[in-house]
Amino acid sequence: MQLVKKIGLIAIVPSILAINGCKKEDDAAKKDVPHHAHEVEVITDVKLIFTNTADSTDKVEAKAKDPDGAGAKELEILDEITLDTGKTYDLTYQIMNNSETSGVDIGKEILEAADEHQLFFSFTNDAFMDPKGDGNIDNAADAINYNDKDSKGYALGLSTKWTTGADALTGGKFVVKLQHQPDIKTGSTGASDGDTDMELEFVLNIKK
Amino acid sequence: MNELAKILKGLLAADKIVGCVFCFAFYGGQLFGQHSDLIVDGLVLDATTKESIPGASVRIPDSDLFAITDSHGKFSITGIDSNVTRLAVSCFGYCDSTCPVNCPEGLSSINKSKQPVKIYLNPSSTKLGSVIVEGGFQSEGGTKSIAQITMSKAQISSDPTRSLATLLEGESGIAIASHGVSIQRPIIHGLSGNRILILNNGLKHGFQNWGSDHAPEIYLSTAEEISVIKGAAGVRYGAEALGGAIVVRPNILPLDNPLYARVKTGYQSNGKGYFANMSTGLGGKYISYFLNAGYVKIGDRNASKCLLTNSGKEERSASFGVRFNRGKWNAEVYYSLVDQNLAILRSSIAESGTAFVKAVNSDEPYFIRPFSYDINEPNQLLCHHTGKGKLSWHYASDAKVSFTVGRQLNQRQEYDVRRNEDKPILDLDLITTEYQLEWKHPSWLGLSGVIGGQIFEQDNDNNPGTGTTPLIPNYNTYRRSAFLVESWQGGANTWELGIRIDNEWNSARGRKTNQDIFRDEYEFTNVTASIGMLRELSETTTFRSNLGTAWRSPNMAELFSFGQHGFKTSFGLLRYQIHQDKGLTTSRVLRMSESGVGPEKGYKFVNEFSTNNSGNQYSVAAYAHYIENYIFERPFAVLGTIRGPMPAFIFDQTNAAFVGLDLTWERNWSKYFESTLGGSYLWSRNIRDDEPLIGQPPIRINSDVSCKIEKIGPFKEGKFSVSPSYTFRQFQAPRTIRPEELIEGEVKVTKDSEIFDFKDAPDDYFLLDASWSFGWKDFTSSVTVRNVLNSSYRSYLNDTRYFADEVGRNFLFTVGYTFNNK
Repeated sequence: MQLVKKIGLIAIVPSILAINGCKKEDDAAKKDVPHHAHEVEVITDVKLIFTNTADSTDKVEAKAKDPDGAGAKELEILDEITLDTGKTYDLTYQIMNNSETSGVDIGKEILEAADEHQLFFSFTNDAFMDPKGDGNIDNAADAINYNDKDSKGYALGLSTKWTTGADALTGGKFVVKLQHQPDIKTGSTGASDGDTDMELEFVLNIKK
Repeated sequence: MNELAKILKGLLAADKIVGCVFCFAFYGGQLFGQHSDLIVDGLVLDATTKESIPGASVRIPDSDLFAITDSHGKFSITGIDSNVTRLAVSCFGYCDSTCPVNCPEGLSSINKSKQPVKIYLNPSSTKLGSVIVEGGFQSEGGTKSIAQITMSKAQISSDPTRSLATLLEGESGIAIASHGVSIQRPIIHGLSGNRILILNNGLKHGFQNWGSDHAPEIYLSTAEEISVIKGAAGVRYGAEALGGAIVVRPNILPLDNPLYARVKTGYQSNGKGYFANMSTGLGGKYISYFLNAGYVKIGDRNASKCLLTNSGKEERSASFGVRFNRGKWNAEVYYSLVDQNLAILRSSIAESGTAFVKAVNSDEPYFIRPFSYDINEPNQLLCHHTGKGKLSWHYASDAKVSFTVGRQLNQRQEYDVRRNEDKPILDLDLITTEYQLEWKHPSWLGLSGVIGGQIFEQDNDNNPGTGTTPLIPNYNTYRRSAFLVESWQGGANTWELGIRIDNEWNSARGRKTNQDIFRDEYEFTNVTASIGMLRELSETTTFRSNLGTAWRSPNMAELFSFGQHGFKTSFGLLRYQIHQDKGLTTSRVLRMSESGVGPEKGYKFVNEFSTNNSGNQYSVAAYAHYIENYIFERPFAVLGTIRGPMPAFIFDQTNAAFVGLDLTWERNWSKYFESTLGGSYLWSRNIRDDEPLIGQPPIRINSDVSCKIEKIGPFKEGKFSVSPSYTFRQFQAPRTIRPEELIEGEVKVTKDSEIFDFKDAPDDYFLLDASWSFGWKDFTSSVTVRNVLNSSYRSYLNDTRYFADEVGRNFLFTVGYTFNNK
């Protein structure tokens, strides 16, 4: 009987400690509402910024907006991209979650995780003088002028270079696609590898 | 203090008066001179009332062989040495110590094909000269007339790597809904999740029971017996028991039970998994305890043709129980811990249209890496603590009062493939507290029954640091319930009648995606009732019939879901409004009071006919189930998002009907061969919209043929069994709309569209399992092969069927050692 009691006690003591050990420290302070979260999973506003490399005040912007993020409101493509002939532009982005008034810069998050991301493009064939062709969404090896690289030396695409020729274009197409490729991204991964964080189609005009 | 001492002294004195007990065995069967049959089938009955005693333990002294009687008082022990002449039977309330049962001719003389051994137990409280009906397990009052299945310890412990659902799969009427390889939920008659109730050790298992990817965290090695009650058991067990209840019973903590220790370990080829578990226990005169611990680790599993990257699991578990008994007083304390890390198939992640189209249309998973034990995102970290205390007072021979307190802490962290993969996307703590007071009243006008009251509280909190808007709000649930179940026996009929009232109050506080706070409070009051009959048509034939109701309030995901989950956007019942002019909007969170949303209410009629005639056992269960306000998801549009077009769904309520049939046939062909054949058929329909329901189990036929192997040299008797099963294609599945058809706008979806699935229901499949078990001295060992043919197949009930095949062939080897203090 003594033995039973001893073994029983030996069993109980550590188990009770285990229960208490797992208790939350802030049990006492009852949480009424969930903490304010800076939502990083939702993108509501994307702005494409084409900056003339010769004149940084010469900017062309095109915006897309999904005002309620995950809600039922439809995506709106607010602007057409209208570039001038015979210029070279750097394309950069502002990618935001503006469902809160202060806004969360998702572009910064993408830059921090550059190793997992790449932007791909598709456009009306030969719309640009450089790059030629129709972009690298259909074939990852096709020409795109990436200005930036991730830590492994692979293309990222938060900044790309575009040169328009002498030909004008009306009602063309410009698609930008951001792929999230964690553990997948290599120099040869394409626009259908990984998951899509952003895929937007704009109307492209090039005017004289 | 003095008074307490007096009471204690009184109790001590009473204990002496109670004394022991005489037990005797009566063999209804004929005795044979043969000494070769090594199986004993029996029935444990109350000597006075001739009622069966469930939960009695029957042991072969000086061996590790034992059995626990099922809800009909039946037991079966195999592998007995032919020279054994004694059985030891113990059951709380009957024998304070073990009752020996002597059979001078040896137990081997009882031929199995004849009537089972009947063992009559006399109650221990001889002072009042009558009977304590309650066995060691919780009273089953109110559920005797419902078709049910019981699984024994031997079945439960044969493969400790299995989950609760996979253990039960194959029993008629039960299927499993999976999310990949490691997450499985049981389905009873087409219903799962919140629509069935899991009662673990007398407590409602308090976990994040919503969504298809949350499985109950139950440590099976602790379980002594599992019953599946296949009817609306709402009266006895409370809200959520619409489709039925799964009752997991732990070690019964017998008194006067010599020290035992069991260790078991094993290895499985598929996933290079290994496990080890131990259990020990001892029953003294007044105190009994058990202690269990287990560990399981499995790496990436193989389908027949490829590796399933990120499909492993790791599980640590421990539990203990202590029972103190002093005459009429019995106190029990239990604690259990389950700590899991469950991997989810990496290739099942597709959060955009293009990725989903690619994943659905590729034959092999798109993400395959070399084998690893590592568990990466997506995965779930779970920690579940259960503590329970129960005090019972058997104040009279046929009456008792018991009070139970339970507290559970469920911690869940889910990780996803995303930019902030080091942060959980979901981080919840759920505390469940339960108080139960039950009075089993003395027999009155031939009625025996239980009157009880329950207080059930849940407190769910989101932990900060997820970097995302909580999917589930912080909420509190407070439910008060009272119930009465009565049974009356007249001749061959036992009638059962039950009524219950539940009042549930909820408070939910969440955040919208713009971080604005929303709050709501709502209350439901429900009355449930059941009426049932159990008729002994003959010594061997029983008919059970039960008409029962049950209800549940919508879960938090069904109410408050908002936004994307996989390649799908869903809006909960309170998160959308349909306007005449503007169509569907999601800008406002509705209050429950203005929403028209009501609790689900089910009415289930189950009939079971079973007969057991000289080695032939048939059982037929037929049921019809109607559910009002049945909650389901239906499509309403394809929405344009920054990620591309996304199909959007809303939760809605309808009325649904389920009609089905379960069949089993068991036959003992000879003393060596026996077979089982079972099948389940279910028809279900959304009655309001006249369309199919999604995710309903297809027809399945199970069988098992086993052969006993004679004792050879030092080896004990063994068993070899082969289990083929055949699952039909689900021909009642909804129509298919391929994701590319949706994205490209070839198929338009509106709010009046019929439900659809992204892929056709998978083809039928045939599976073959085999197992061989044998023993040597105090060792037992087994080899089990699952999916012997290494079939490549997909299950309609697995969420990851869009992306990958089910697990291929697996060899499992186990070795166990039992020590019994002689």
